[in-house]
Amino acid sequence: MTSIASPILKRRSGRLGHKVRIAAGVIVSLIFLFPIYWMVLTSLKQPVDIFTTPPTFFFEPTIATYVEYFRRADISRRLINTIIVAAGSGVLSIIVGSMAGYALARVRIRGATTMGLLILLSRGVPPIALAVPMFLVARKLGLTDKHITLILAYCTFLIPYVMWLMRSFFISLPRELEESAMIDGCSRYGAFLKIIVPISLPGLLSTLIFSMILAWEELLFALVLTNRYASTIPVAIAGIAGDTINGANWGALTAVGTITVVPVVIFALLVQKWLIRGLADGATKG
Amino acid sequence: MHATVSAARGQSKKRQVRWESFFDLLTRWSFLMPTILVLTVTLAYPIFYTIEISFAEFDMSSFGAGEWVGWSNYREVIGDYRFWESLKVTLVYLAIALPLQITLGFAIAFLINAEWWGRGITRALFIIPMVVAPVVAGGMWRMILDPLWGLMNYALQSIGIGPLDWFGDPDLAMAAIIIIDTWRWTPFIVLIATAALLALPKDIFDAAKIDGAGCWSTLWSVALPLLVPIITATFVIRWLGAVKMFDIVLAATYGGPGKATNVVNLFIYEEAFRSLRFAESSAMAVIVLVLTMVLTGIFLRGSRKLEERF
Repeated sequence: MTSIASPILKRRSGRLGHKVRIAAGVIVSLIFLFPIYWMVLTSLKQPVDIFTTPPTFFFEPTIATYVEYFRRADISRRLINTIIVAAGSGVLSIIVGSMAGYALARVRIRGATTMGLLILLSRGVPPIALAVPMFLVARKLGLTDKHITLILAYCTFLIPYVMWLMRSFFISLPRELEESAMIDGCSRYGAFLKIIVPISLPGLLSTLIFSMILAWEELLFALVLTNRYASTIPVAIAGIAGDTINGANWGALTAVGTITVVPVVIFALLVQKWLIRGLADGATKG
Repeated sequence: MHATVSAARGQSKKRQVRWESFFDLLTRWSFLMPTILVLTVTLAYPIFYTIEISFAEFDMSSFGAGEWVGWSNYREVIGDYRFWESLKVTLVYLAIALPLQITLGFAIAFLINAEWWGRGITRALFIIPMVVAPVVAGGMWRMILDPLWGLMNYALQSIGIGPLDWFGDPDLAMAAIIIIDTWRWTPFIVLIATAALLALPKDIFDAAKIDGAGCWSTLWSVALPLLVPIITATFVIRWLGAVKMFDIVLAATYGGPGKATNVVNLFIYEEAFRSLRFAESSAMAVIVLVLTMVLTGIFLRGSRKLEERF
């Protein structure tokens, strides 16, 4: 009797377990999203609705805070600066880094592996060890508060990142592709530009987007190397969050925070499939 | 005459071949050259400059390295208890946050890998916290954890806990930093772990089930050994990110209360750019650099050993 009943029972409990597992997964993902939801919600509140006990979930939404902060010259200028720096460092490092990644993956060069390992090792360099000398040198050369300085500073972590992601990507491509192209008379650069790059376009694009996100969020170098004209959004947020003298300005914090987060989330979700693949590859092969 | 012509022709051909191989070598290296060039200027040179300043007296008039003073900056820094405090704070943060995030990440990955129509969406949702700028995460959570108006204390009080003074109590402030960091970084581990778990060979688990292995023994002796390489790799990646901890602390607590959450990066930053002690902060940066490199080497070694054992 029991021997007949037990498989059925087991299957039923298995199905229940499955449902519990799905429910738990959904709940956990909602818990992780909730702080962002709360930030966006707060950014749409009037000051009266922000400081309440109990916290209000239903209120008349207003975009007054956004309007106010977009009017302030420094936020819109910072936004433009952040876009310039993120795009500039992203594009520069995707070009330079993917060439290096290709060299490590396919072009046989003596000493290249050592060079690659050295560059990989640079991921362990604490940024503060670079920030101090960069600040001193930039000051001496009159390069503080310029976009190009920040772009070059971001290359220190973006190029190694791009190089290793693209290396593993290029290795996964069949070797015959460029070999046949080179037999057909293509130069090495011709094979790279005409065969490899078009095929790798999705990978290159998602790596580019992820690099730009990393640059978009960077704080330390921006804090150290800029002060007015080239300063970025994260510096503004650090300033608002750290401004405790005038009391917490949560409206500003959440509005500027939302402006920072929304474009990045949209981009990340656009390339989510590649992003996840890149992460998995980066972990297993990097 | 004929012979000399052919010899000359042969020589020119040889020269051409040599030139071609030289040209080929040049093309090969030209792929790597831009990276080497940029990183020499932006990465290698600053590191050497930091080392130079750390052995010199900082000259305020020329704003650069002054007279060579040997190890004196290092001696001063090692004698500075605040530097040790900040290292200790960093260590406590790392020792709690890293294992917590990795365990949580793999557990959540197991949950959201359950097969149903919404699996892809649930997984994509985990990308969102991962791309929130750390400084925004710090500021946002500072609001949520606010002792007076924050949502967290309201929720905790409704189940009879608190009110907790998140940013006034040293231990709670550290807990707050770890909570924020865990919120920001666990999704990253979740995404790696979901891919890793899906890549596990299914038939092994079927075999384990047929052999009558229970849940725990399957997890312990079948899944875990297969996952060791990915867990160690995740650990190393996360470690390399976590030693750079700066943004979240800066936005959420600014090292406070007192020096309770003053991680070493924030301490060096303050010493350099607030107190303008560039020579001492360079010495500290070099010490942190060496420590990070040594520990990373040990971790890489250890992970390889661990992989061999399984």
